[in-house]
Amino acid sequence: MAGLVETFGAGAMTNSIGEIRDADFLFVIGSNTSEAHPIIAMEMKRAVRKGATLVVADPRAIWMTSIAKKHLQLNPGTDVWLLNAMAHVIVAEDLINREFIENQTENFKQVKEAVASYTPEKAEQITGISADDIRWTARQYATTEKAGIYYTLGITEHAHGTDNVYALANLVLMTGHLGKPSTGMNPLRGQNNVQGANDAGATPMFFPGYQRVDDPEVRVKYEKSWGVPLSPVPGLNLNEMMKTVGEQMRGFFVMGEDIVLSEPNVLELEKGLNNVDFIVMQDAFMNETARFADVILPAAVFAEKEGTFTNSERRIQRVRKAVEPPGEALPDWEILVMLANKMGANWSYKDPAEVYAEMVKDVPQFAGISHEKLEKIDAGEEGIAGLQWPCPDADHPGTKFLHEDGILRGKGLFMPVHYIPPAELPDEDYGLFLSTGRTLYHYNAATQTRRESGLDAKQSEAFVELHPSDARKRGVHHGDMVEVTTRRGSVQLRAILSRQVRPGCIWMPLHFAEARANVLTNDVGDAVTGTAEYKVCAAEVRLVESMPDNEAFFPGSYYYEKGPGLHVDD
Amino acid sequence: MSKLTLNGRTVCFAEGETLLDIASRQGLEIPTLCHDPRLEPAGACRSCLVEVDGERLMTPACARVAQAGMVVMTENERIDRHRQTLMALYMTDHPHEREVSEVGSPDLLLDMAAEFDAPMDWGWMEPMRGDREDRNPYVDFNPDTCIACARCVRYCEEVEGVSAITLAGRGSHTTISTVEEKSLLDTTCELCGGCIDVCPTGAMNEKLPLMRGQKPERELVKVRSTCNFCGVGCQFDLNVDLEGRDGKGQIVKVTSPPPGTTTNDGNLCVKGRFAYDFVHHNDRLTQPLVRGEDGVLYPTTWEDALERAAEGLLGVVERHGADALGFVSSSRCTMEENFLVQKMARALFRANHVHQCAAT
Ligand code: SF4
Ligand code: SF4
Ligand code: FES
Repeated sequence: MAGLVETFGAGAMTNSIGEIRDADFLFVIGSNTSEAHPIIAMEMKRAVRKGATLVVADPRAIWMTSIAKKHLQLNPGTDVWLLNAMAHVIVAEDLINREFIENQTENFKQVKEAVASYTPEKAEQITGISADDIRWTARQYATTEKAGIYYTLGITEHAHGTDNVYALANLVLMTGHLGKPSTGMNPLRGQNNVQGANDAGATPMFFPGYQRVDDPEVRVKYEKSWGVPLSPVPGLNLNEMMKTVGEQMRGFFVMGEDIVLSEPNVLELEKGLNNVDFIVMQDAFMNETARFADVILPAAVFAEKEGTFTNSERRIQRVRKAVEPPGEALPDWEILVMLANKMGANWSYKDPAEVYAEMVKDVPQFAGISHEKLEKIDAGEEGIAGLQWPCPDADHPGTKFLHEDGILRGKGLFMPVHYIPPAELPDEDYGLFLSTGRTLYHYNAATQTRRESGLDAKQSEAFVELHPSDARKRGVHHGDMVEVTTRRGSVQLRAILSRQVRPGCIWMPLHFAEARANVLTNDVGDAVTGTAEYKVCAAEVRLVESMPDNEAFFPGSYYYEKGPGLHVDD
Repeated sequence: MSKLTLNGRTVCFAEGETLLDIASRQGLEIPTLCHDPRLEPAGACRSCLVEVDGERLMTPACARVAQAGMVVMTENERIDRHRQTLMALYMTDHPHEREVSEVGSPDLLLDMAAEFDAPMDWGWMEPMRGDREDRNPYVDFNPDTCIACARCVRYCEEVEGVSAITLAGRGSHTTISTVEEKSLLDTTCELCGGCIDVCPTGAMNEKLPLMRGQKPERELVKVRSTCNFCGVGCQFDLNVDLEGRDGKGQIVKVTSPPPGTTTNDGNLCVKGRFAYDFVHHNDRLTQPLVRGEDGVLYPTTWEDALERAAEGLLGVVERHGADALGFVSSSRCTMEENFLVQKMARALFRANHVHQCAAT
């Protein structure tokens, strides 16, 4: 979320989930909301039932497009073109919020100049969306008071993900859709506690609370607090660490993640891991990373420990222990304390509440939050459970939407961005655009969900969605076994003929170990966040084996044949 | 602000509020079965009838929008009699024994019948609601305890937005079905389990606990926690059988908090509501493991494993410097754990190589 910290001064949803139902215009871009965030989708459905206008920008037809006023089915990776063209329209038609721009932002002129050449007509050629639709969307967005933007990985999992965020933020700033309920800019987090992990400082650039490690004042504060000298040099992000595995990186401590199943370009990564001296892995389950681990520490899962998660809307909520862990497994925090002490630390935390208290002590935005206070709120009758940061002191009720009394950064920063084509485009050898994503029924590496018989019944097999016209060219029929190949590797899985994808594009879920999407994906990382380009790369599909006549294949995707919403002939 | 008289007291209300909204705010209890704050009122079950001065018929509080000057009674003899009669009628084709009607979720109808002291002997007709086979893994439907209040159907349409289930049949044959009586797996159903959650009589149930013969919900202990899947952070209750797993506790099912009290407004998705089997799965790691000289992983004690882990990590730093050591933290873990990992990297090794997977 570096992009948002940069422009607004806080990297989180500006608004609350509960405000979505009152929005009048919802711009959903790069988010398969009903599958990745079903509860947010419910709120959006509620808004649409009440008359809100929903516009979905996504290369793929998704459930949400079936209730959308418009589906902007853009060519993969052309988001910046679309967004800059919208900004172009807003500027050209003078729909900007002058007062807001003058008082609350800086750098508008640069963006104005940057988008001057992004005319809707040119955008139509590149994005595939008609100039009229771009104009209409820009006008609706700019002129609706309660207009909110919602986006997820679809926007950030690109080599230029941060650019996409800037381009969106420019729209928000030029229209002044900020600091009010049901508007703003809302990144929907993929994993339960991504927000919390970032907030807590598990990032190479920031101490807890987005305080930069290279800011001398901050460093001095933490040196005092922790009583040791600290490094002023930002560390490597995960993408960089993975690329130097076995070279610069010679040892790893890996907690609760399967890097081998989740990181892109995994075949290269595995070569590197063989050259690593030592890996400690701490997890609840065996996973692919375990093949390289020297020590494996058995960890408790969420239901077996105390603590907090922070959700996408900055809400800190309690995790409570319901059952005992199996065997000798222990909560991660207990293991961390023991391990640190073995390595010379002198940590004496007796429970997660104490750890939390230490964390907030040095972060002004979190200072008013404590386990104790959360307990009190949860036990009370009034309001919604949990507490949203900023919450600077013990009497503060938390913050529903950000930037109400002016933008937290001081001035909102306009950032001009220009379109750079995706790092890899389809060519003669690899004629298709591959994107990857999540489905409703599984979760990331699926170590949890695939151990669930029911979810497996609904969606048990890996699949790739292929447009009927592309399938015909390759002699592929619905249910056939195919091989998907990219410059990095290949996997075999079943083909679904689907009009959810555009001609020339294919899509596959990233959850299945037998057809690991990350064998295929590109590890070119975003220059700022290091988030890899999971979303688009060039690929080719080849028939391996036809599906026997007597077999049926139900991929658990109800809309696969036709695709929801508008049905285009191939 | 308009005013009306409620049980003899003058109260204010906002435009559009129902009599039920106002009464609940005043702390008055009106029985309801088909009502759900997330849904358009249906007025189907008749359990919430109240009296409005000057009106011959009683009116459903859940559906009746308040008007200024109304004089409303929520308690009196006539209302009591109505409740008794209504319950007695429901009881003519609703199982009377908890062991029968309450195999999983609670049956509020039985509670209500007891509360209003309803006569249970007004005759008995075998329930006639049609049943259907369904191979879906999660949702069980018991037509015998269904009162056809359509709360599940309305939830599926109005909140989940997929209209997978419908009312079918007429009169006492009315039942909950799907288009062409298909399995939920072959419909638009997204297996959110909302229909189970809103059902007031436990006719909709979770299938797995039933198949496993686990304890009914009332015998379980609820622990409020936060879902560990996506970034919405739904609140839910882990329903635990404290005696399960030899006293270590076993999660039997997951239920929603009441609507309006949490950020998810009582809603959950298929993962949050049903994907908890991994917690007690046989594949869980239960012992520390270390790799032997022969390249094989062996179980060991915590003491030994920690010793080896510390030695190994410190060894890397000794040989290659702190810049050679990477810490991969996890967005699956708690705030506190993430804080400790970054503190470990920074304070112990004076380096900032700490990040988590999918930092999006
Ligand atoms: S599980 Fe959800 S989607 Fe399926 S029928 Fe029930 S309410 Fe509808
Ligand atoms: S219940 Fe579903 S929507 Fe809610 S946090 Fe869990 S995964 Fe996300
Ligand atoms: S709750 Fe009012 S009629 Fe059912």
